[in-house]
Parts: sequence; C-alpha cells; structure tokens
Amino acid sequence: MTDKSADRVARFVDDLLRGRRPRRFSASQEEAEAMKVAASLVSARTGADLPDKAALDRIHSKLSAALDESPTVERRFTRRVMLRTFGTAAAAVVVGVALDEVVTRQGKSPGAGGSPSTVLMPDAGAWRPVAAVTQLPAGHAITVSTGSVDAVIVNDGGAISAVSGVCTHLGCKLQPDEASQKLNCPCHQTAFGFSGKVLYYRLKTAPANLPQIPSRVNDGQIELFVV
Amino acid sequence: MLALTELHVVREPDPDKFREAETATYPDWESVYQDNVVGIYQLAFRRVGNAADAEDLAEDVLMQTLKTLRLPAPVHNVRSYLVKTARTVLADHWRRHYAAKDAATELEQLPQGALIAPPSTDASERAARLLALLPEHFSRILELRFLRGFTVREAADELGVTESNARVMQFRALRKAAELEMEVLS
Repeated sequence: MTDKSADRVARFVDDLLRGRRPRRFSASQEEAEAMKVAASLVSARTGADLPDKAALDRIHSKLSAALDESPTVERRFTRRVMLRTFGTAAAAVVVGVALDEVVTRQGKSPGAGGSPSTVLMPDAGAWRPVAAVTQLPAGHAITVSTGSVDAVIVNDGGAISAVSGVCTHLGCKLQPDEASQKLNCPCHQTAFGFSGKVLYYRLKTAPANLPQIPSRVNDGQIELFVV
Repeated sequence: MLALTELHVVREPDPDKFREAETATYPDWESVYQDNVVGIYQLAFRRVGNAADAEDLAEDVLMQTLKTLRLPAPVHNVRSYLVKTARTVLADHWRRHYAAKDAATELEQLPQGALIAPPSTDASERAARLLALLPEHFSRILELRFLRGFTVREAADELGVTESNARVMQFRALRKAAELEMEVLS
C-alpha cells in the first residue's frame, strides 16, 4: 500500500514540479495530506505563487464577459415573468424601470468609482524629463514632482504611464504600495490602482479617478507633459 | 473662551459618522477584482500547487462572489464573502478531483484573514522552518526535490538509494511534514 501511495504521490509531485495540472485520482487520507504539504512546498519557491499577466488577463476577460453583459435587473425581472404574474400594465411599468436601471448601470460602469479618468493637459505644458527609465524597473512606481504637478509614474510590465499623485478627495499626497499595486491615500484610507482607478474608499461618495498625465520615453528619460 | 469651547464641541467626531467612515467601500466589480485577484490566486496556489488549477479556482471564487454581491459594498463584507466562497471552492476541488474528504473539511476552516496573503518570502520561511523540524533524511529529500528541483532519479543517486526507495522516502517525509504542520506550525 505504501509503495502504491508513494508512486501516486510521486506522480502528483512530478506534475507540480513540472508546472503541469496534476492528473486526478482517488486519494487516501494519508495521500491527500502528503499532497497538500507538497502543494505548499511548491508555493515556497520565490514568486511561484504569483500569477502571470496572461492568467490575470484571462480571468479579467471572463469576469468582464459575465458581469458587464448581463445586468442583474434584466435577469431578475423578465417581461414574461411579469406578464404571467401581474398582467400587461405591471409588466410595462417594470420593464420601464428595468431598462432605466440598465441604462444607469451602464452609465456608471466602468467608472462607477467616481467620474471617468480625465487627462491633465495644461495649456502651457511642455515635455519635461522627470526620471531615467533605469530608475523604474517593471512593476515599480515612483513619485515625482515638477513643482506644479505631483505625479506617480508606473512601469506596468514595460508600459510606462503616469497619473496624478494627489488624492481626488482632499488633495493628500498618494503613497505607492508596489507589493499590492496600489496608490494609498494616507488621509482617508482610499486607494487607487496604478491605472488611476478608484479601488476603494472610506467616504460617503466615491472620489473621482486620478487624472492621467501624458508621458513618454525619450532618449532614456521618462518625460511628462506638464507645466 | 466660549467661542473656543463651541469650536471644540463642533469638531468632536460624531460617533455614528465615525463608525460610518470606518467602512471602506468597493464601488464596482473591477475594484473588487483589482484589489483581490492576486491574493485569491495565491490563496488557491498554496493549496493546489499549480498555476492551471489556481487560475481556474481564482476565477471561480471571483465569479461566484461577484454574481451574488450587490455593489457598492463595504470592503470587509466583500473580503469576508470572498474567503467564505474560497473555502467552499477549494474544498470542492479536493473532494471532486481527489475524493479527499478530510483535506476538504480542513480547507473549510480557512481563517478569515486568509485573503491577506503573506508575501512569498513568508511561504519560504515557513517551508524552511518545516524542513528544519524534520529528521535529516526526510528534510534532505524534500530539499532536493522541492527547493533544488531534482528529479526522483537524481535525488535517489544523490542519496545513494534506489528510485523506488526515494519515492517511498519522499512520501513518508511529506506525511511527517503534514503531521508537524498540524502540531507545531498551525
């Protein structure tokens, strides 16, 4: 029994170490306990438990397909159900309400966390170098100030972008949290994603998303279009 | 003086408003996704050990949660719901694919704070502590396999045993590690 168990667990471990989805089988309690420890040991290798960008993109697109295209109101109150239950007049009223709700939901999404992002485009702006590209490795964010504008520059897998470094609620300076890819407001525990979108807030109403700041890379320098 | 006192009174926080302000809010599903997807993926990966299953499970947890929740919703409510869903989804995974009832039951006891995933270095430290508690020959084979990436054949050669013995040693080492994890580290 031990030999067979050892073989089955060894095959499971081989699959994990080769990055494959393990073959399924009916495990004894002892085997399952060993397999769970094996899974946790595989996770201990540095960075092994972090998802790659392609995986995140796939999860996001499946959620987006399911959640953006099927408003709850439409699914809950179909016209047929209302006709059967309450008659034509009630159905007409409810369909009207449902459509209104759908329009409202679509109007709010995806910028429901405040107004959609705006672009900060100063009248007398110019491209100004603010940091060397080498100062900003992938996955990192730095704060810079041009005197007039505080900004956070982000390197998201090689794509460099910039957003305002000031919270849209009351103007506190945001603090990048690279580990969780957030910009935290130190004043009211509001957080923005590196894209400038509101992640969460502790306010009665959602603050606006952070304005985008035009950015480019020129001759090894990151430049922002600012005053 | 009176004016100062009045000013002070006006600035006293209203306890009700203060409690209300303590509740951070997720405005929409994108926010829930962005703030939690990595944590949920890590939570899943540490219990299944491979990227393909972790991706499917993270998607399941988020999909089930987001289809049920009405947003905007308080952050702590959403996270609490995510962990509850993760418990069910992970337990179901072990039950369905490995018929592992006890392992599944244990996963249903995931702590509420499980979503605040410790950084990867914590997982490495935990593994190092676990290996240090094992008898020498058990820690050696697990180190060769999991930390240095040796195949069973290579580990067997290194340890001077047959491949078959190396597989049995690996199984016993993992069983012992499971016992220690329950007794000492949890």
